[in-house]
Amino acid sequence: MSERLITAADVPALLAGAEFFSTSAAGEGIDFAGVWLGDILDHTGPVRLVAAGDLDPGTACAAIGAMGSTTAMAELPPSGDEPAVLARSLEGRCGPLGAVLPLNAASVNALFPVAAAALLGLPLIDCDGMGRVFPLIHQTTFELAGLSLAPMAAVSAGYDSLLLETGSARAERLARVVAQSAGGWLLCALYPTRVGELAGAAIPGSMSRVLEVGRVLLAHAPGRPAWTGGPAHPPWESGPAPDGGPSWEGGPYREGGPGARRVVAPHERLLAELTAVTGASVLGGGRLVEIGPSVRQAAALFPGNPVGLAVHDHDSGRLIRIEAHNELILALSDGSLAAAVPDLLCLLDRGTLRMTGPGRLTAGDLVDVLVVPAAPLWHTIPGLALGGPGAFGFPLRHPKEASR
Amino acid sequence: MSSVRAPRVAEQLTVDELVRYGPLGRAQMLVGEDLGRRVSRVALVSELDQIRSHGPGTVVVLSATLGHGAWMVESALRLAWERSASCLVSPAEAGPTSATAQLATRMRLPVFAVGEDPAAYALELAAVVASPEAARARLAARCAELFTERSSPRGILGVINAEVPGVTAALLLPDGHLLAGQSAAARAEHQVRVEVPGPDGRRWADLVAGLAAPPAPTWAESVRLILRLARAPLTTSVARERVSAVYGAEQARAALAALFARPGGAVEAEPGVDLPGWRLEGRHVAVFLRTDPALEGAGLSPGVVSAWQEVLPELPLAPWQDGWASWWTEPEIESGQVAAALRRHLARMRVPVPLSAGVGRAAEGGEGLRASLEQAVLAAGATVRLGHGEVRTFDELGYRALLGTLGQAELAAAARLVLADLLAAPDGPVLVVTLAAVLDCGGSTGRAAARLGLHRNTVLGRVERIRARGVDFDHPDQRLALHLACYALLPELQNGRQAATQQPSQ
Repeated sequence: MSERLITAADVPALLAGAEFFSTSAAGEGIDFAGVWLGDILDHTGPVRLVAAGDLDPGTACAAIGAMGSTTAMAELPPSGDEPAVLARSLEGRCGPLGAVLPLNAASVNALFPVAAAALLGLPLIDCDGMGRVFPLIHQTTFELAGLSLAPMAAVSAGYDSLLLETGSARAERLARVVAQSAGGWLLCALYPTRVGELAGAAIPGSMSRVLEVGRVLLAHAPGRPAWTGGPAHPPWESGPAPDGGPSWEGGPYREGGPGARRVVAPHERLLAELTAVTGASVLGGGRLVEIGPSVRQAAALFPGNPVGLAVHDHDSGRLIRIEAHNELILALSDGSLAAAVPDLLCLLDRGTLRMTGPGRLTAGDLVDVLVVPAAPLWHTIPGLALGGPGAFGFPLRHPKEASR
Repeated sequence: MSSVRAPRVAEQLTVDELVRYGPLGRAQMLVGEDLGRRVSRVALVSELDQIRSHGPGTVVVLSATLGHGAWMVESALRLAWERSASCLVSPAEAGPTSATAQLATRMRLPVFAVGEDPAAYALELAAVVASPEAARARLAARCAELFTERSSPRGILGVINAEVPGVTAALLLPDGHLLAGQSAAARAEHQVRVEVPGPDGRRWADLVAGLAAPPAPTWAESVRLILRLARAPLTTSVARERVSAVYGAEQARAALAALFARPGGAVEAEPGVDLPGWRLEGRHVAVFLRTDPALEGAGLSPGVVSAWQEVLPELPLAPWQDGWASWWTEPEIESGQVAAALRRHLARMRVPVPLSAGVGRAAEGGEGLRASLEQAVLAAGATVRLGHGEVRTFDELGYRALLGTLGQAELAAAARLVLADLLAAPDGPVLVVTLAAVLDCGGSTGRAAARLGLHRNTVLGRVERIRARGVDFDHPDQRLALHLACYALLPELQNGRQAATQQPSQ
């Protein structure tokens, strides 16, 4: 019914979208995965992206996702045989897979499930279990819905194959150790289940959303005319600039009739489109006044590099403080908690019109802070316990929780 | 029990006071906005949410267990601000950054960082907040201890200025003259003032503390207490200075008497005078100070000598005859220079009585000095009739200096008798003044009119009235006596005229 095809031509949009949803790790060295996926799709042909409802509810399926370091992955890239190893491992326990879905449609994990679907010749279900990047493999809506993570199949860069049959938290810990010893990353198939179980357990439409956001970002990439491509054009984008000047080529542009001379900066137009596509809100934007190492929280269990950022909001004069531990965990506006995990915080670099993260920023850069609300499942009490600020060691209540 | 306890002022300390003499003085002040906030209590918080339960005026101390990071300090800052806390104290390692400080500045909430254990620190703060009097007493005790180590008013004022931050102190005479300390205190909009008694127990000066902002009642009380503690040492130091001034002056008088007792040539051979600043060899110009004969008395010396030393600390002043003597010694000195300098210094000097001065001629050596001083004494006898602050050299006065030696009181009494007819006229005093001017001008009514600033016809009219009263000033054998009689009356007539002209405005 709502089937779409993902072809090699979609890879750039997929990459850009994957970058958007991977918060602070934004686009750090995931281009290799795009090249790899493009090659695979060239050979296998397009992948069918289907809604869960369009498949037989009894179809066996599993979530595909990589864990570990993307840097290690770029150095020891997957060969392409890994998905078959995973499928074989799980087949003995759950029968042959009829479909795959992404563990989390963000960063490299927006691309690997597509590759797995292509290589296994299976449809890709348009949903995921995080809607973003979480550091632990069991920080999923599947977990919240009571799906079992195990049995979990994993394969390393050296084709070490592993089938873990244990609880979710232990699976995470064991797999993390294996990943470190086996080359830095593992490709995993986990949460094996039936498609019918996904309703209420998965975040629907995640892959489509990644593609859509990716297309918006590509349309605004520097050097491209703003009105080519992109799914949603705001009304003012329907033709040449209304002041009768030359066509828009990426420079400033005036909104409204000849009387209205307000200049709409390129980043404002991109933000308008991104918020329209994702339901995000803009927390603020301005100059990055501070960036530096922060302090690890006592309760934090995660691998992570604590970084603190402070943005001086140009319009309101407020101070937006962002705390990052690999992910952007929380944002304070004048000391008051304005946004926090599980909602997605992202930073748009006004200069390059690309998503950015602490690793690529220096003090003085101009950035906008976006907040994409997480799926409603995440805002439940168990959801916030699993993916809220407390899960990252921050003794703060999520704004949703505080307002309850 | 006759003592009445002073009414207690509001007992809450301010953040400012905790900085000045409480434990906050040890903390690093990251944001010093709005330090006048009152402190009601201290709260050690180990969870951010605990801040919500504290009311206004709380010093929020973040526990080390609360966690670290600028985000945490900023969250705490926000909550503290929402609860109108008085200030926020964060462990230094918690990591408040410059952006945090900017945020606090915008919120106008003071923020401090402490390097020590926040729990122990909070306890110490709480003890101080619970007992503001103890904290105030600690500062006062510190000042009192330092006062005992200082012997001069300058040193005592220095203690206040250094130890009581935010306060400038000055010691002022009742007429506003600055004796010691910082003149800024006298101009400060907000002042705390206490009277300082002199050695005689009467008000001698005011000790003034200037504050930049309107002080909290507790702080004003603290400052007042410290000023009161400074009073006794100030009185003592003043008494000591006066005693030493009198002692020094008596030494100088003895030395001067010894100098004048010797025959002329022997002075250089055996100097005998061993006082700092006194030199007998070289070129001297002597000066002699006198006050109004009606005011003269032995009790004046300490006041005059200490006022002189305040302005000219390097020159000794010796009580001598019915005035005070000193001299300048420099290779090229001239009496005109000394007169000009002395005029300047007399204007600045805070003396208890009006002073006038005579200046002798420049002369070499001990014998020259004696001659110069005699000339100065003679000149001072004449200038004392001219009014307060007058300084004349012996040469300026010429032969008039001679008139200074005449016994003023006897001469004036005799003059009133011989000029009784003239004085009895309705405008008698005016006629005497006019007569003196005409005689001064050798009988020329034109020149006398110019000197008095009158029209010649006015003078001619007065001369007619003078003659009508039987005064014949053309008669040669009457003329000198008449002139002297006028001169003897002039000072009191001039003073009377001044008083009469001042009366309407009083």
